[in-house]
Amino acid sequence: MIVVEGLSVSFGAVQALRDVSFEAQTGKITAVLGSNGAGKTTLLRTISGLKEPASGSVMLNERSLLHVKPENIARLGVGHVPEGRGVIGEFTVEENLRLGAMMAKVNLSAGLEEQYERFPVLGERRKQHAAKLSGGERQMLAMARALIAQPSVLLLDEPSLGLAPLVTSQLMHSIHDLCATKNLTVILVEQNASTALRISDHAVVLHLGSVVANDVASKIAADEDLRRYYLGMVE
Amino acid sequence: MDPFLTSRIVSDILGGLTNGVIYGLVALSLVLIWRSTGILNFAQGAMPMIATYIGMVVFAHEFSYWPCVAISLVVGFAIGGGTERLLVRHLYGKPEINPIVVMVGFLIVLEGVAAAVWSTEPRGIVNPFSPIDFQLGGKPIAMSAFSLYEVITAMVVMTLVAVLFRYTKLGLQLRASALAPEVSRLLGVRVSRMLTLGWVLSMGVGTITTILVASNFFTGLTPQVMDGIFAFGFIAAAVGGLDSPVGAIISGICIGIILQFVGDFLNSNYIILVALGILIVSLMVRPNGLFTKSSVRRV
Amino acid sequence: MDWLRFGRRPIITTALVAAAVVVAVVTTSTVRDGVAVSIALAVAIAGVATLTSKGIRATHPALARAALTVTAVDVALFATYFFSATTNFNLAIGAAMSIVLLGLSFLTGASGQISLGNGAFMGVGALIMAIWANHHATTPIAITLLIAVVGGAFVGLLLGLPATRLRGPYLAGMTLAFAVAFTGIVNTFSSWTGGDAGLQLPSAAPAPHWLVSFFSAQTSLFTTGTMWLTDITIVVTGVAFFFMANLFASRTGRAMRLIRDNDVAAELVGVSLPRARVIAFIVSSAYAALGGALWTLINNSVSPPTYSFALSVTILSLIVIGGIGTIPGALIGGLIYAYSTNVISWITTQTGLNPQGNFASQLNGIIFGGLLIVTMLFAPMGIAGAVRRLWVHRRTKTALE
Ligand SMILES: Nc1ncnc2c1ncn2[C@@H]1O[C@H](COP(=O)(O)OP(=O)(O)OP(=O)(O)O)[C@@H](O)[C@H]1O
Ligand SMILES: [Mg+2]
Repeated sequence: MIVVEGLSVSFGAVQALRDVSFEAQTGKITAVLGSNGAGKTTLLRTISGLKEPASGSVMLNERSLLHVKPENIARLGVGHVPEGRGVIGEFTVEENLRLGAMMAKVNLSAGLEEQYERFPVLGERRKQHAAKLSGGERQMLAMARALIAQPSVLLLDEPSLGLAPLVTSQLMHSIHDLCATKNLTVILVEQNASTALRISDHAVVLHLGSVVANDVASKIAADEDLRRYYLGMVE
Repeated sequence: MDPFLTSRIVSDILGGLTNGVIYGLVALSLVLIWRSTGILNFAQGAMPMIATYIGMVVFAHEFSYWPCVAISLVVGFAIGGGTERLLVRHLYGKPEINPIVVMVGFLIVLEGVAAAVWSTEPRGIVNPFSPIDFQLGGKPIAMSAFSLYEVITAMVVMTLVAVLFRYTKLGLQLRASALAPEVSRLLGVRVSRMLTLGWVLSMGVGTITTILVASNFFTGLTPQVMDGIFAFGFIAAAVGGLDSPVGAIISGICIGIILQFVGDFLNSNYIILVALGILIVSLMVRPNGLFTKSSVRRV
Repeated sequence: MDWLRFGRRPIITTALVAAAVVVAVVTTSTVRDGVAVSIALAVAIAGVATLTSKGIRATHPALARAALTVTAVDVALFATYFFSATTNFNLAIGAAMSIVLLGLSFLTGASGQISLGNGAFMGVGALIMAIWANHHATTPIAITLLIAVVGGAFVGLLLGLPATRLRGPYLAGMTLAFAVAFTGIVNTFSSWTGGDAGLQLPSAAPAPHWLVSFFSAQTSLFTTGTMWLTDITIVVTGVAFFFMANLFASRTGRAMRLIRDNDVAAELVGVSLPRARVIAFIVSSAYAALGGALWTLINNSVSPPTYSFALSVTILSLIVIGGIGTIPGALIGGLIYAYSTNVISWITTQTGLNPQGNFASQLNGIIFGGLLIVTMLFAPMGIAGAVRRLWVHRRTKTALE
């Protein structure tokens, strides 16, 4: 479980997050929604330690993550699939996965097998350079690379970006299944609110760095004002 | 073909190979640092020079050759790691000229200190390998026990580095840290340690190179022993592509052989001019190096 | 400090000039000396008057720069009249060095790149100067200097063309290779260059007759001392600085700074990056060659081993300490160079080191190398940058109060 409390983050004069508080429950998907520049990426980067907050705190199962280095937060079981996926193009698919498995306590070949089973395309192309993969395949690789380390928390930054609708819905399904079967804490950042809300249990809406709504996903999805003004879901 | 010419050519190739592996090693050590930290280390000759003085001169009375080599290596590792932690760390993310200027300053200080402590007199290093050329059919060929030692050591070092980078977990992390530091951290790689390790490794390669150069009966160890060799090593690295370890080694060996021919058939004064010419032409034709696949530009 | 701004009051200027002429005529022994001194004073006063005129820097920046140059050169020339031969010699060497530093400062300030071979480019200029003078003794000094400059620019083009097209440390590495190779190259062409022994100029450059005959009393200073050579160097330095100040302020100069700060933006507004970088490098090599040519003139000979890699590093240290990318930095660096040998021998005697010992002979390198590191880490813009920061800080503070 991740508990964010009173989090404020700034880049010089720009305040990217103001007093953000919410909880992400274990075994549940928490969606973080908002338009461009709302501060979603900044929120995830602060949780995983890449950015120091000005004030506030982040707790992972009662343990404060403040001032903990990103590599150590990762070792505590927080998997972060960054914006733009962060696949290393110069590495082969398998090297990317081996890098992900670096700190896992499990057997490497068992881990690889598990991921290749989940994403068969990756198994077929394991010797290819990741730069050659399609956008969807890269997203799978990024997910597989995070999962192979057996994380307890998964931070996903706009996984649907650039994917075809069909691929997106497949991806969302697998996220949903993963969360349930592995009892993960998932924080799912999305601009594509309707897709995200469909699989989420809880949702937080950010606007210009502040939380404007924090509720059960179905309630957020039903709120006309939120849909119109913050989520850009006009029918 | 004229047997005299044939033996001359064979001699040039062998002599060139001996020099070339040294250039290749220097180039390799430069590439290791460039790839991991984006810095061209102008003190790459001077830092191992200090380690070599400490190992091979200070301890020469107590120990024989091989223990001294081991001491030099340990000191070289320490100098590499210490420099990265204490000096270079402050230069990441600064304008491009800052690290250049600082490392040039470091070069001058190290050479000055070495000359102040050990003077500029060449120090011979007694080693088990004879510098006298082998005989083949009653005629000497340009290969001695010592140059064989140089070539074999260089090959072993290059192979070890290749194996480390290609086949080990550590190598994977080193490469990942250089290519994508932030992503690597998110995957739990201790990138900061990897940067230090890059310098440590590079200094290991550098120290072995300097020991090989200084053990040469005809050279000896001086504070500036690596200055000229650094220039050739840089040329090899730039020609091969600063991002490419394999390119560094291959172009180092090629340059060594070409220059041996130039010195033999033209005039040894032309060697450095031809080397500069090679650099100029190759940068014109392949700006990113002959062996760099992608034209990724570091910004 | 308002009384200093006398340029706003033409009457004061005129009165000052008149007073100066009177003082000069009364204090000097001959009419000719009196005329010389009053010209010098009048020029200085007129220059300062122009500089202090209201708004001149904004409305006529080129005129202000010219006035500053003329005043500074005038005062320096006047001073050489009183200095000892040794002081004049040091001054000339330092002034020539400041030209070299200015070139390097421009290269870095304009393109963000750096050269580790400016000592060798100096050597190119120094050798061309000597070779030409040995073959064509009658060529006027100004022409010979120009030939040396063109030669330096050409070698710069040759080396810089491939390296400046690349980002990263290629230019630095290549110029380092050139600096290390320079003595070897000189030896390759020893029939021209004289090898390590170098060349002598056929005759010491004499002062023209009209100038010598003008000063009745101090003729010997001109003919035997170094004052004449110092004066030439000062005038050339003035011209070099004036030209560079205009270049810094010109559109080209601004475009180049844009490149340094943000090459993507520069490319967007249509600045050709490779061309601008090559030009900056050529200018820097040409300036280095000019400085080297002046050294040949001042020493009346050239000794190629002077132009070693160590000199290139000294040049780098001087401009970094003075303030890289700035114009005053070059002047500060030149002054430091003129007196560094004195300072270092002073340190040697003060610390009781054996002047012939290992340590004393390495002190120069250790100190300059150390300063290079410390400056780059703690004050990357050197003395000039630090002073400017203090100045701006004080001005904003007074403005706030
Ligand atoms: N490195 C940075 N330096 C300065 N400002 C930044 C930086 N990163 C983000 N910001 C600012 O912080 C605010 C939030 O940015 P953030 O990237 O978190 O938004 P986001 O919600 O992820 O947007 P998007 O949907 O476009 O990815 C923006 O105003 C942005 O300009
Ligand atoms: Mg974002």
